[in-house]
Amino acid sequence: MRAIIIDDERLARAELRKLLQDFPEVEVVDEASNAEEGVQKIESHNPDLIFLDIQMPGRTGFEMLQELDHAPTVVFTTAYDDYALKAFEVNALDYLLKPIEPKRLADAVEKIKKLQNGKAAQPASTGYSPCGLLGEHDQVFVKDGERCWFVKLSEVRLFESVGNYAKVFFGTNKPLILKSLNALEERLDPKIFFRANRKHIVNLHLIDKVESYFNGGLLLELKGGEKIEVSRRQTVKFKEMMSL
Amino acid sequence: MMKSLRLSRYWVFQFGGWGLFALINVFFTWLFQRFEPNSLQRILFFIEVGIVFSHFMREVIHRSSLLLKDLRQQILTLILLTIVFSFFITCVVSPFEQLYELRTNAEGQPVSYLSLFITNFISFIPLLLMWNAIYFMYHFIIKTHKLEVDTVKLEALVRELELNTIKAHINPHFIFNSLNGIRALIDENPERARTAVTQLSSILRSSLSTEKAETVSLEQELKIVKDYLALESMRFEDRLKIAFDVDERTLNNPVPPMMLQTLVENAIKHGVSKQMRGGIIKIVSDIKQNQHELVVQNTGHLNGYQKSSGFGIASTKDRLNLLYGEKASFEIKQLDNGLVEAKVLMPLR
Repeated sequence: MRAIIIDDERLARAELRKLLQDFPEVEVVDEASNAEEGVQKIESHNPDLIFLDIQMPGRTGFEMLQELDHAPTVVFTTAYDDYALKAFEVNALDYLLKPIEPKRLADAVEKIKKLQNGKAAQPASTGYSPCGLLGEHDQVFVKDGERCWFVKLSEVRLFESVGNYAKVFFGTNKPLILKSLNALEERLDPKIFFRANRKHIVNLHLIDKVESYFNGGLLLELKGGEKIEVSRRQTVKFKEMMSL
Repeated sequence: MMKSLRLSRYWVFQFGGWGLFALINVFFTWLFQRFEPNSLQRILFFIEVGIVFSHFMREVIHRSSLLLKDLRQQILTLILLTIVFSFFITCVVSPFEQLYELRTNAEGQPVSYLSLFITNFISFIPLLLMWNAIYFMYHFIIKTHKLEVDTVKLEALVRELELNTIKAHINPHFIFNSLNGIRALIDENPERARTAVTQLSSILRSSLSTEKAETVSLEQELKIVKDYLALESMRFEDRLKIAFDVDERTLNNPVPPMMLQTLVENAIKHGVSKQMRGGIIKIVSDIKQNQHELVVQNTGHLNGYQKSSGFGIASTKDRLNLLYGEKASFEIKQLDNGLVEAKVLMPLR
């Protein structure tokens, strides 16, 4: 597993690197000392795993994650933070307290190994996306007030544009993601995520019903009950895709 | 909402209580075969008067705020009220009964007014006494319960505040981060690691100390501040630049313990640590116009200070006020050059 350590204190990064020497399956490919550097290095290295300090100057760890197109597996680190700890507990996020206990680190690495193996073992269905594009196995970080999630794209049935941002529909939630619909469309695998109209991108795997609609268009009903119109132009594309 | 709930409970008790009394009367009258067509009338009349007058009595109790007075006064006044109201009721009921010949003796003859009056008076006293006793008891129980609940809540609050005060002094975030840094240094620079352990231990000791010393010398306070800054510079490395400008004459001046330390901690926590490129912290102690001036300047923005630092500022103001009254002052403001300045002025002793 390729990992990046993000922490504003050099000593803290050195200490974690040292601990990770005991885990040959984890290879630390780079370090970052703030959110900006973090975003750059994550986008260039595309690591499987990041160790992220919550308290950093400038933007916090949470804010950094919201800027990423897709989030790698994250293990949060903190020395002591009432507020962050509550957020971790409430949202079931993985975290380690500094100074890190080797045993806790081992448990976290084990858990992640199992998850990664699980991912690799899945059949190379239409969920397997070509390089660069985001498919079903990728996850994205969304925050809505006190709650936050790492959502697998396979569970997102709809993106709806709200001004310059988009609402992400999964389960019973629809938090906001700080990306525009157009930006999302560029990154998402078009074989799975389809731009139905100017305001909506739907997950083709989570469509319940397809009906004809006015003006040669279509009405899609999604598994969550949402009804999305497909514009006439897009209907042509839709029919082409579905006949494949 | 509460008031209307209580009001209706009162009326339930009233009708329920007096109704029960009526039923008992009817039952006993029937039992002793004294039941006549008049009896029911009489009993109902009795009840109506009872309800009305007990209600008046309650009004009196409320208007005079009797329930708020002390126990002995309450009991005495209630007994007095009972007697007075019994008298009033008797005055109302007796002529009525006399007029309609509602009462007869064993031979079926109407009784004399006097015996009627006295019988009624004597009947009403225990009745109203019981009414008052129930009313009084009900409120007493409610008050006691409320007192218990309030006491428990207060105790919990006091404990929480005490804990917060202690926790605010210890700053666990700083301690765990320092420990983590020391652990890293053990291999990299063992000497530095050892020094750091000594410095951390000294800070912990001063945080935990419960000595009630009102003041310490500036020199003592500066030692703690220097240890603290040494550990922070271990963590921040070149992102923290430290400058001291201390007039030697002020070293023996008395200062409130941990006041300067709190200001320096805030300066780092809310100021320097929030800057991407780090910043500077400068500590100045000098004599200005016959006052001892302590200044902490740091890179930062005042509106970036979150609510938690309010505690530090408030406690600083409180402590200065307690020690020096009007003669000391504390202010914190944003300077033009991107620095925040906290300034304490104390009288010279």
